[in-house]
Amino acid sequence: MMMRGIAGLGLALALAAAPAAAQQKPPVKPPPKPAMKPLPGDTGMAGMKMGADTGMAGMDMGGDTMQMAMPIPMPKGMIMMPGLRNLLPPVTPFLPGEGVDPGTLPLARPSQLTPMKNGDTLDLTAMLVRRVVKGHTYVMYGYNGESPGPLIRVPQNATIIVKFHNAIDLPTTVHWHGLRQDNRYDGVPGVTQAPVAPGDSFTYKVHFPDAGVYWYHPHVREDIEQAMGLFGNMLVDSPDSNYYSPANAEQALIFDDLLINDDTLIPFGKEAPDFALMGRVGNVLLVNSEPRYSLHVHQGEVVRFYLTNTASSRTFNLSFGGAPIKVVASEVSRFEHEEMTPSVVLAPAQRYVVQVRFPKPGTYALVNAIQAINHFQGEFQAEVDTLGLITVDSTPASPDYARQFAELRTNRAVIADIDKYRPYFDKKPDKTFTLTIRPRALPLATVQFMNVDTAYFAPVEWVDGMPDMNWLSTSKQVKWIIRDDATGKEDMDIDWHVKQGSVIKLRIFNDPKSFHPMQHPIHLHGQRMLVVARDGVRVANLSWKDTVIIPVGSTVDLLIDASNPGAWMLHCHIAEHLGSGMMTVLHVDPR
Amino acid sequence: MLARNAAWLALLLIPAAARAQGGPFDIALFNTPQSPSATGQARLVFAPGVMDVAVTADGRARYDARVTIAGLPAPRTLGPYTAYVAWAVTPDLTQWHRLGAVHNGVSMVGTADFNKFLLVITAEASAAPEAHHGPVVLHGTSPSGWLQNFTTHPLFRGVY
Repeated sequence: MMMRGIAGLGLALALAAAPAAAQQKPPVKPPPKPAMKPLPGDTGMAGMKMGADTGMAGMDMGGDTMQMAMPIPMPKGMIMMPGLRNLLPPVTPFLPGEGVDPGTLPLARPSQLTPMKNGDTLDLTAMLVRRVVKGHTYVMYGYNGESPGPLIRVPQNATIIVKFHNAIDLPTTVHWHGLRQDNRYDGVPGVTQAPVAPGDSFTYKVHFPDAGVYWYHPHVREDIEQAMGLFGNMLVDSPDSNYYSPANAEQALIFDDLLINDDTLIPFGKEAPDFALMGRVGNVLLVNSEPRYSLHVHQGEVVRFYLTNTASSRTFNLSFGGAPIKVVASEVSRFEHEEMTPSVVLAPAQRYVVQVRFPKPGTYALVNAIQAINHFQGEFQAEVDTLGLITVDSTPASPDYARQFAELRTNRAVIADIDKYRPYFDKKPDKTFTLTIRPRALPLATVQFMNVDTAYFAPVEWVDGMPDMNWLSTSKQVKWIIRDDATGKEDMDIDWHVKQGSVIKLRIFNDPKSFHPMQHPIHLHGQRMLVVARDGVRVANLSWKDTVIIPVGSTVDLLIDASNPGAWMLHCHIAEHLGSGMMTVLHVDPR
Repeated sequence: MLARNAAWLALLLIPAAARAQGGPFDIALFNTPQSPSATGQARLVFAPGVMDVAVTADGRARYDARVTIAGLPAPRTLGPYTAYVAWAVTPDLTQWHRLGAVHNGVSMVGTADFNKFLLVITAEASAAPEAHHGPVVLHGTSPSGWLQNFTTHPLFRGVY
């Protein structure tokens, strides 16, 4: 069983609450009646056309525009530009559960470990919940009343049935992120299924071919639904008991953020995503939906952390108070070689499996440490957010895995698997994409600022340094683009077909000269891929992945194992970029 | 002495033409009176590692530099020198981090982890000196060095 080797330890918040009975179904409260009618359209839906350009953002101040009683929070020392004051995004404000008395909603529970075996059935309901964050109560979403949703734990190669019910106030689906499974159950509206309307249900057959950490989330208006709490982890266990080096404990940690001004959630755009330029970057950072994470371990214990970023836009740079971090796996496989790392860079949708040893008694801070850019002063500013504390007592670890932790293993099975693909590493790219943006009628001040602020764009933007401009941009004003260099076609107009079993080299360039260059975490559904080169430099230590960061100005070469037939999305996982069109489909045609 | 000071002044007064044309990774290198025929450029690439982007624990990017140079004279023509060495130097010139030896052609050196830095190439007595001593022959600025202070821009003073 997976908890082997864990001796007398307070386990992860996510895992500690595991029901003793392995197959016990988590209690699910009756879903509340949807509070309002579904939205008239889903602008994040694959293949759907954006609405007509409604003109200059913020210039339409009619009753249908977002009525904000408060400005959005600005970074310390920054002011809202004079030219943007009093403007509003040209969308109707939306928050979950409008008109619902929060007191009638269930208080969200922490994620419950939900072990499943091959053939089991899980009832999963997306529902309104009440969440308390920093003392303030909000109406948000959760799966089965949990936030994050149930932690599904299955053996590799299992298949389970998920009977999904939609009890929220928007249409939705469930996407099983990273799983190479039957295309019919990939959860993409307009591509693999129709959206599940409020009150309706859909049955998914979910298969787990690869060991590792995965997650599930909606593929409809992720900027709202995912941001408001619809996400959960899946842990897939290898039958090899030595798959990872030993650990005393395991923790599944989901990193997320919320954008709150004082005690108020910043509303979302009803007809279209707002924050379309940079994505919504929250100012309250969360671990497993809570602002402060805690863990108690013994001196010298090794903890295996399964890390997932479910934030809409924020990329984290995580470390554990100086405790050594060993990286053992990324999204779809282990690495060829285990490596130590000073920190874990976790972009939206990415996952890593790391092992951390806490050598001395005391307190270790789990932090997100980044270099923000103050565009006004033209300077970098170090920012550190403490996300949690790991308290280490003086009781010696038992067993003591210090020796095994110090060893950096070579995973010969991974190398042997990748060996079959090495002959393709230097092939000419089969397809080249350029990532860019097309603005449409943004506020004049935004355009002016962009023109004077293009001297330097960081390869990775860790925070929103321009929240005023960002907030005012909606997918009506911003079109994010994946462009096929060979045809000039863009996004869903790209007609990309490959044969099942082919090995495809995809080169993606993130154009630094676009109107607003920004990094993009590009995610490919239903297949696995290798990042074989970055900026012309061969990557030395490989693992199979499904999401890769493409920094501004970078070129990344991906080798795709196109083994799984179907129509598979390739898109930016910044929710608002996806909602602004940054997506295409890879058709893997059956042999 | 005068020539040396002039070289430092040149380091700080980078012409606008030096702006990175290829994005946040390209550095144009400029020659000095010690090496008037030298030309060069550098491309920053994230240092190798298991993460998609290499950063320090506090979030500073970790870059290697692919340095392409032509026209450097033999080091001994400039004095008692045997090699050219690339350095990452903080803008206030107080910290020098040796990146490695470079030569005419393409050299890969690293790793720099300053937020903003100058890329400076000097002639030295050895390929791995502890500190810089010889003359500067080429220099450039990391693209992050182009960050500007906007507080005095009319946009932010309400002046149009």
